[in-house]
Amino acid sequence: MIPLLSINNLTVAVGEKILVDRVSFDVPKAKIVAIAGGSGSGKTTIALSILRLLASPLRMTQGSILFEGQDLLGLSAESMRRCRGDRIGMVFQEPLSTFDPLFTVGEQIDEVLAVHTKLSKQERYKKVLETLSEVELSDPPRAYKSYPHQLSGGMRQRAMVAQAIVARPSLIIADEPTSSLDVTLQVKIMELLARLRSKNMSILLIAHDLGMIAHLADEVIILRQGKMVEKGPVSKVITEPHHEYTKALIEAFQ
Amino acid sequence: MRKNNSRIDMAFGSFRRNRMAMFCLWSLAVLYGMAIFADFICPYSYQDEDRNYSYCPPTAVEFRDHGHWVSPFVYQRDLDFDAVHRRVYVTDLAKKYPLHFLKNGRLFTVDAPGRCYIWGADARGRDLFSRIWYGARISLSIGILGVAISFVLGLLIGGIAGFYGGWVDSVLMRLCEMFMMIPGFYLMLALRAAVPENFNSVQVYVSVVVILALIGWASLARIIRGMALSLRERDFVLAAKALGVSDITIIFKHILPQTISFTCATLMLTVSSYILAEAGLSVVGLGIQDPIPSWGNLLSDAMGIVPVIFAPWILLPGLFIFIAVMCFNVIGDALRDAFDPMFNEGL
Repeated sequence: MIPLLSINNLTVAVGEKILVDRVSFDVPKAKIVAIAGGSGSGKTTIALSILRLLASPLRMTQGSILFEGQDLLGLSAESMRRCRGDRIGMVFQEPLSTFDPLFTVGEQIDEVLAVHTKLSKQERYKKVLETLSEVELSDPPRAYKSYPHQLSGGMRQRAMVAQAIVARPSLIIADEPTSSLDVTLQVKIMELLARLRSKNMSILLIAHDLGMIAHLADEVIILRQGKMVEKGPVSKVITEPHHEYTKALIEAFQ
Repeated sequence: MRKNNSRIDMAFGSFRRNRMAMFCLWSLAVLYGMAIFADFICPYSYQDEDRNYSYCPPTAVEFRDHGHWVSPFVYQRDLDFDAVHRRVYVTDLAKKYPLHFLKNGRLFTVDAPGRCYIWGADARGRDLFSRIWYGARISLSIGILGVAISFVLGLLIGGIAGFYGGWVDSVLMRLCEMFMMIPGFYLMLALRAAVPENFNSVQVYVSVVVILALIGWASLARIIRGMALSLRERDFVLAAKALGVSDITIIFKHILPQTISFTCATLMLTVSSYILAEAGLSVVGLGIQDPIPSWGNLLSDAMGIVPVIFAPWILLPGLFIFIAVMCFNVIGDALRDAFDPMFNEGL
């Protein structure tokens, strides 16, 4: 079976400095693949490379990114834009700053549908409410009308998951989706993400919390300073780590 | 108490509590109302002249006749010359002309040969009251139109330059600097000189609007560009990109609206500077041409010392320029305070 997302030899550099060094991995359909590693190991850079949103001094020097059998690097800027949000959704780390403070949460989720679908206003509104209840926000109409600062951290993060899945993408990139939340909320958001897998969505989870990864992911990639040091099914990597860095990471969480 | 609404609603709420600003807003509403309904309010059209009444002083409207209250009327006034051959107007108590209300679609009129100049007449015997309100149409609209054009240009160019950065930014900013390096008033004069002389009044009006717009957009574009440059680094802009929102939508929906506090305040201050600029152009005879009145060219009648001494009422248009400019400035300042979060916390 062809994997949903297949990354080969991805290398990202800024000037002479290499930030991500020949990283290759696959994300199969309806699986959760996690990228773990310390700060500055290049996790977020990989996520942004997939969406082709690297900020200007950073550039991809080699590698290929195949998504649903299509080379993302070969797409025109316009086709790439259509792909974002529609076929690949993204959940960011800090929901307060990723929502525009001037619009309600509902309006911003609606924007995704307005950009990618031809649905009428009523149809979009219905779909946004459905998605808001899907992520278990109580009272979806009220959440729709709330401004980002009026929701609690957990509710905002749920709203952001709703924004990522509203257009039914086949891949969701979640960049440390729980690190701004307290422990009980982390569990709730993790459960929410786990349910998405059963809806045939794949998740590329970026995290530094190995506990969460062990709980949630099917496969894990360990990154260290831009280099992939270990890759494999979660149970195997956690129980029989080969690399010293992986061992150190696991020990840190025990 | 924090109400369940957005930052913008809160700002307008705090603006409404600013009494001075609300007073100015209502004053402007009155000025604009008078300008819009000038046809109805004014007793004469702006070019209705009577040379026999050159610099006729304001006419008193009389309500009492031989100790009795009567419906309002005016006395006939005749031109005469005093010992040093200066014009004087002698009130002829024998001839009375009643004021007619709502006649011929006008609020009040006097039958000819009577003339009613409640704010006096100009050199050609035209009613200053009427000319001020017809002139308000030009003076008050020219600022708004000029600002509308220069803000569209400034926001668009500043937004694009700041959002894209790089060579786009460099090209657009060098263009701005070309406009900014010439002092405003001289740029206006130069642009005005480029306009053909045989333009009709509508063409002159449009060219003045365009000239005003061209001098103002550049400084605005530079400030908006700076704001866009910092706003584009914000997470919600990256998020919008990651959701597949197009660049132009991001600029219009997520970047430019963030500058609203600055934009609203500057908009008001710019309107007032454009009203002044139009007056400046017209005073030196390069703006709106007689017989079409504007506050600026009405004031150009007051350029000589002699008319100002003997007919001080021709300075009245200057008072209206002052009122309008001050109102726009107070509203601009109030908007800036209203949008300032620190200021709001104190309320």
